[in-house]
Amino acid sequence: MTDQIKINVNGSEISSKPDQLIIEACEDSGIHIPRFCWHKRMDPVGMCRMCLVEIETPRGKALVPSCTTKVSEDLVVETESEVVKKAQEGVLEFLLINHPLDCPVCDKAGECPLQDQTMAYGPGESRFVEDKRHFEKPIPISEIILLDRERCILCARCTRFSDEISGDPLIEFIQRGNKTQVNTFPDEPFRSYFSGNTVQICPVGALTSTSYRFKARPWDLKKVSSTSNCSSVGCSIELNVSQNKMLRILGEDNEFTNQGWLSDKGRYNFEYLHSEKRIEEPLIVKNSSKKPNINEAMDLISNEILKGGDPNISFIVGHNSTNEEYFALNNFAENLKKVENTFGNIDIYLSDDYLYSGFFNGDHSLAEIKDLDSADTIVLWAQDIKDNLPTLYLRIKQAVRNGKKLLIFGHTNTAIKDIAEEYFGGDIVTNNFEFNVNISDIPNFSRHIDGKEVIAIVGKASPLQNTNPISELIQYLEANSNLKILNCFSKGNTFGALQNLNLVKGLNEFVNEFDISKRNIVFTIGANPVNNSIYSLKIKDSLVNADFVVSMDLFKNETTELSDIILPTTSLGEKEGTFTNLEMRTLMQNKILPPPGSSLNEWEYLLTLSKKINLEQVYDSETQLNALLCKDYLDEDNIPSFDNLNKPSNLNGVLNSKTININIENVDSTNLEILFVHRLYGDSSTQINSPSISMLSSERFIEMNSATYFGSYMLYSDVVTLIQGEISVQVNVNINDNLPDNLLVVPINRRGFQNINPEKKVELEVAKSREQLNVS
Amino acid sequence: MSWEKELIDKANEIIELYPEKRSALGPLLYLAQEKDGYISNDSIIQISNLVGITEVQVKSVASFYSMYKEEQTGKYLLSVCKSISCEINDSRSVIDSVKNFTGLENYETDNDKVFTFEEVECIGACGGAPAVQVNYETVEGLTPEKSLQMCEWLKEERPELVVADELQEKFGGVKSFDWAIKDNTGSSYSVPGFQNIGTAKEKNL
Repeated sequence: MTDQIKINVNGSEISSKPDQLIIEACEDSGIHIPRFCWHKRMDPVGMCRMCLVEIETPRGKALVPSCTTKVSEDLVVETESEVVKKAQEGVLEFLLINHPLDCPVCDKAGECPLQDQTMAYGPGESRFVEDKRHFEKPIPISEIILLDRERCILCARCTRFSDEISGDPLIEFIQRGNKTQVNTFPDEPFRSYFSGNTVQICPVGALTSTSYRFKARPWDLKKVSSTSNCSSVGCSIELNVSQNKMLRILGEDNEFTNQGWLSDKGRYNFEYLHSEKRIEEPLIVKNSSKKPNINEAMDLISNEILKGGDPNISFIVGHNSTNEEYFALNNFAENLKKVENTFGNIDIYLSDDYLYSGFFNGDHSLAEIKDLDSADTIVLWAQDIKDNLPTLYLRIKQAVRNGKKLLIFGHTNTAIKDIAEEYFGGDIVTNNFEFNVNISDIPNFSRHIDGKEVIAIVGKASPLQNTNPISELIQYLEANSNLKILNCFSKGNTFGALQNLNLVKGLNEFVNEFDISKRNIVFTIGANPVNNSIYSLKIKDSLVNADFVVSMDLFKNETTELSDIILPTTSLGEKEGTFTNLEMRTLMQNKILPPPGSSLNEWEYLLTLSKKINLEQVYDSETQLNALLCKDYLDEDNIPSFDNLNKPSNLNGVLNSKTININIENVDSTNLEILFVHRLYGDSSTQINSPSISMLSSERFIEMNSATYFGSYMLYSDVVTLIQGEISVQVNVNINDNLPDNLLVVPINRRGFQNINPEKKVELEVAKSREQLNVS
Repeated sequence: MSWEKELIDKANEIIELYPEKRSALGPLLYLAQEKDGYISNDSIIQISNLVGITEVQVKSVASFYSMYKEEQTGKYLLSVCKSISCEINDSRSVIDSVKNFTGLENYETDNDKVFTFEEVECIGACGGAPAVQVNYETVEGLTPEKSLQMCEWLKEERPELVVADELQEKFGGVKSFDWAIKDNTGSSYSVPGFQNIGTAKEKNL
């Protein structure tokens, strides 16, 4: 079979891939066929009949749905004939029979495919005079999604998405005929990490989100493409803004990363931008009555730096900065080092417990996300993918649907065990994440590995994991298969930090290197290590003992409480820069909002400070920073500069790498009682200040297997109190029999758990009832 | 109420018959129908756990097919055919006579949960029109009077099992086929009697 075949559409010849659907082939050649149910990322279903076209068959011309009919050599297609037009008019007249035409109060109006196509292809008037069907106007089908069944045209996009793509089919067609409706099962709401996508793909206003409902009309929106900070996949997004307020984030179809989908966190975590609690002026924490302006604040900080006494200067940096900001920080630190006889140690620490040396720098062959589609086997040893890299999970799920074999090593990815070919749990991997058996002896392993194309998605499964087993696994895979590695550091722009900081250390290094006998100045930049790290308590001690702490952040939080001065910074949509994702693809983050109050970008603070302490100046804009950081990329022909990234051919990002230096000590545990996991929804200050999704992180639950539940703890209640020393938290218990014995899974990014020591046993007591507690 | 162990064992036996668990959904819904006289939400949760699909997917199937009832039926489900052959042979008066006796409109159930009445499309007994099904056991060649007698008999006798041959002998008339093998199995509730899933039960006639 040749690569291309010819078909004839509306009298002109176009070429198409064999096996393509007519609607796709036409789309590729610029011929638009109207449609409601067909979506290029999902299987065709032929529900709506809007895409009917005429084709020539041996028995004459026939109307067929172009979304379920494949092309064949010399196929003759008519998409605009009288018959097709009549069919389209008929279909639209039928679809509008039960559609309420409440466009004036509908959020979709203005960007509604049904509205647009009725204008373009509709009959103009309806002959239907009877009563339309009626349902209760929007019913909440989850905390964040509302469903208006009257508006639904039964295209099955949402139900197919939840079944095929996200794999949590909690909505389905109920009833039949005139009563057919999309709905959930009673008491089983549409709680999916991906539910927001159904709102975006709904071709009418049937599904709406609480955060955008009645907020704006589409024609008032200002839009710009950007990249999501939610995870290191770097999902392409579109920011929608009206009157300087972010109102909505939509997924953009980037072939290489998210393919149009977003997690609900990536989609709805933006309301914090306009929260009243946001810091807008510099704040002196210990004397809240004194509000310095930027200049005074900078004087204060530079005086502290230049006060003498050989201070050690440490920077703890988070994962939401742009590449340019990391570069500026690196530049600032390097310039400080060049000043002779003034400073002690100057170090940069990345605030992520899951960092380790990883697999970089030409010794290993690195994978792209799209390689998942061509591999034979996917090996997963990492933290919980669905919670931490949700859109990567969708890509893995899609690969599995297309026949790729997924092999999962325990104990973090139990939630996706169902799609795995093999799940290697407690028999293979100990509670301390070491191998129980020789890798070559793992049952059913080698037959999926030997001589195959393998992608390994690897990272630390637990913050307290010895990384030697991961290296062993990679060694074995490299020896026996054609291996490509996807380094699994899940948070925001971690890879941008790795690329642009000369040397990266972790929080454990910060704690160990913190020398209390010295003068210490600590900068925390967009990081809150006092809240969500296993080293929280030690970091807290260090910050309390530091001589001067500067925090650059959006909100007051556990870390800024300990600082001397807080500088308000900017967030997604308020700054321009680049973002590097986990496959080293650099993408653009664009600015569409003004920074609130007197907030400045991180690099602007660093620049001003440099001026105050007379350091060398080599940049004064993002563009110059970008030009500077582009010099170090290894592939000089393919540089992710602003100019290059804005070229139409590069809108999906540019792959390029830099030398990466990570210096993180291997931390070990021989006695892990508790496995800390990061849930998608947590108590980050951005999420708790986004009202639409803040409640999603409220549930506190721990997981264990039933043997531990009944055996070790002898519990007979789902509500228990978790006690360790002085810590006591009331939690729900979920049974998860994919876990090994005597391992408790605890979400570290939910309130109440951050000070628990994972190496000590906890006690669980059946929670007292209200009567026992004597609460009146 | 969740299912008793006996019923779960039976369900697992049925699941064994299919290459994929979810294929057993139809028969399992009949078990649920036989248990409660309708598909309860508890049964849906039970089935969803047994076959490994979500509750709403089970609900979707259960609400699509009209032989899975969403509301509890009476002990005897009276399905009177209203399709063309029966209509020509005066099914209207059979319908009226059943309606008169039970006092029920279409899809209604009486307070004592004895009868549920429904008008249905062709039940495949055109040769013996007009025809009625009681718990999906077919009686052919009915007249208004005979159907009235049948209802009275059901109400007074309250037979545990409804068997087609018995009803036909007592109240029926012309049959589509008169060479059919004798069959003494019947159904005890508003569910068709299938031998392979055990909803058909034997009666000594």
